[in-house]
Amino acid sequence: MTILQNPVSFESLDPGRSRAWPCDQDLCLTCANCSGACPVAGIDDFDPRKIVRMVSMGMADHVASERWPWICTMCGKCEQVCPMGIAIPDMMRRIRSLRARDQIPGILQSGLENALRTGNNLALPKEDFVFILEDVGAEIAEEQGFETFTVPIDKEGANILTTIHNKLVNTHTEDLKHWWKIFHAAGEDWTVAADNWEGTSWGYFTGDDEAMKTMAGRIVENMRRLKARTLLWPE
Amino acid sequence: MFDLLIRYIRQGRITLNRDRFTQLATYHDPCNYGRRAEKIFGQGFFEEPRWIMDQCLTHWVELYPDRRHQFCCGGGGGALTNGYNEERIFYGRRKMDQIKATGAEMLVVPCHSCHGQLNNIKATYGLPKLTVKYLWELVADCLVLSEA
Repeated sequence: MTILQNPVSFESLDPGRSRAWPCDQDLCLTCANCSGACPVAGIDDFDPRKIVRMVSMGMADHVASERWPWICTMCGKCEQVCPMGIAIPDMMRRIRSLRARDQIPGILQSGLENALRTGNNLALPKEDFVFILEDVGAEIAEEQGFETFTVPIDKEGANILTTIHNKLVNTHTEDLKHWWKIFHAAGEDWTVAADNWEGTSWGYFTGDDEAMKTMAGRIVENMRRLKARTLLWPE
Repeated sequence: MFDLLIRYIRQGRITLNRDRFTQLATYHDPCNYGRRAEKIFGQGFFEEPRWIMDQCLTHWVELYPDRRHQFCCGGGGGALTNGYNEERIFYGRRKMDQIKATGAEMLVVPCHSCHGQLNNIKATYGLPKLTVKYLWELVADCLVLSEA
């Protein structure tokens, strides 16, 4: 119990800042329903209640240096059982936003920087992307009933524009085929953009609202540029 | 996504063979389409995927608990990419217990993160042969093409 061994110095608490957080954390009754519902309560000696209380006491920076807010998947079982309606998953995401960007665990930040710089998490060049799509499209056309299948890249005026999850043009190209086969069978008028096709938005995971706005804005721009009527965004 | 598949089926734009799969199947509610969507947008997608499952399969079973009370698979929130793999695999233990309890051989999910996580951890929990299938993959597999 780190907190018990190192008692909080009340001089360091920041009630003004905690009021600025819109997650209602100060309403916590310490009932621990959230911790009872959480599948990872106890890892690193943390649980949702402890984090809610620490944020309420102005210790958000302390929590931000811990692994736990990243081990949490923001699944929402905690807030579902909270009698006071505290937005605990939103709070976890807000805590993640406090991390220095070069201290974000794993490949999240490098993938996001790739996406912001090149339009997709893999930094996959446009020619390679188009090649993969056309190659997989040609494989589908070899199957019975799909002989006329082609991938309509950057087609203007289509009914549906679909985004692509980066793993489908990386290690899981077979999984590109399912939606495409459904489109073919349904006679759908669809397209996929050759630029800014990325469907994931890792700013959601890193607590980066500006990055999310940029990624969503590019999809909106593709909708405008290609005059597509409907967006299919399965990610 | 659910709405589009339902529209294709209802309007007769696609035809599905409900006898394509004979093994027992079950369905996992992703947090973000269910519990989280209900909280944030006021509507969780619980019945839509189940209707689609019914069009593809003559028989399938629910996990318990399900819908807004389901357990997270452990793959959400960036868990597949943040490097805390031991904790991520531990996270999925309850989900795997739920799946085991049904005896299902095929698990259908409408989420990329759930799909990746459940495929990644199934062998650790003694279900190496469990088929993890996207909901739209199930629909594609059941397509009946008209001779036109």
